[in-house]
Amino acid sequence: MEQNKNPLSPHLQIYKWQISSLLSITHRIVGVINFFAITFICVWSLYLLLGETNYEVVNNFFNSFFGKFLIIALCWSFSFHILNEIRHLAWDFGYGFDIRISKITGIIVFFGSFILTVIIYVLGRNYI
Amino acid sequence: MARFSLPQNSKIEVGNYFKDETKSKNLRKINVYRWDPSKGKNPRVDTFEVDMDNCGPKVLDILIKIKNEIDPSLTFRRSCAHGVCGSCAMNVDGVNTLACIKSHTDINGDLNIYPLPHLKVIKDLIGDLSTLYKQYESIQPWLKVGQTGKEKEEIKQSQKDREKLDGYYECILCACCSTSCPSYWWNGDKYLGPAVLLQAYRWINDSRDNDKKERLKKVADELKLYRCHTIMNCTNSCPKGLNPAKAIGSIKKMLATS
Repeated sequence: MEQNKNPLSPHLQIYKWQISSLLSITHRIVGVINFFAITFICVWSLYLLLGETNYEVVNNFFNSFFGKFLIIALCWSFSFHILNEIRHLAWDFGYGFDIRISKITGIIVFFGSFILTVIIYVLGRNYI
Repeated sequence: MARFSLPQNSKIEVGNYFKDETKSKNLRKINVYRWDPSKGKNPRVDTFEVDMDNCGPKVLDILIKIKNEIDPSLTFRRSCAHGVCGSCAMNVDGVNTLACIKSHTDINGDLNIYPLPHLKVIKDLIGDLSTLYKQYESIQPWLKVGQTGKEKEEIKQSQKDREKLDGYYECILCACCSTSCPSYWWNGDKYLGPAVLLQAYRWINDSRDNDKKERLKKVADELKLYRCHTIMNCTNSCPKGLNPAKAIGSIKKMLATS
């Protein structure tokens, strides 16, 4: 590409973010994070099998500030991915391509992911 | 692998500043991307102060005013000035659109005008669209009827079948959608892009065409079609209000159900 003397016109540098493109890239990043998160959860489950002391280590970690932060962050990343995947599923069925509807569903997904995070966390921690 | 930053020869430099000479009180700063192939320098962004009291309402009017009154070397494509020909497609205020139907009053602050994104620049605001035209040719955008012995008879189409082309036949191939698509930026040589896929769907969907199966088969490709991740920048930018994302979705659905 460099040897050609004609420059490349600017792209990412100048293009304005749209709700749809922001959600799309977030979906992808969150997908990669979830891939590692699932591995992490598997390792954690494996630890439980290895006896009480190992369980204590993990339990203490999850009750620390950083541990809690990590859990809430992962709750969000899963919530977001699930909700946006439902949106993708609707698209695959041929619904929701209208620009207004896709914007509305996008906003619902964004705010919904936070609500779902709270629900999952509160239920998961047996607060209710 | 996608390259997110601009190559060394494409880094944008600060250009010239053209101060207003009309002593107008209603001035607006217009930043325009410039690149001159004869100079061998990097592209730059020139700033023009334009007297808005004596200027038409559209972005294209501003560009023509600059070319007529301030800098005649400014180069851009335009023809019909009514949103029909698709020549003046460019990036205005961060979104691809036709300069001739975009009102500058809709934009706040300084006006930034760039060529269509991720294209080889020929000069100033003109990008090289030859890859896109080749891809357009590859989908064979003409009616294919085969040998029926009735070639000389009129092919009739019911009103209902004709309506299936609404929202697709209006495409003027301005390339706003394709050049707004990040997938097309990174895989433009293989992925067909929204404009060409919308056209492909238009021919697949035409009741008079007898080559539907072949057309579908040709487009069903990991790279040609499935690089679309429904980012929807295409639909957001289309100056004709069409929906390429929906067309691509329809092709995917057809392939999944046929």
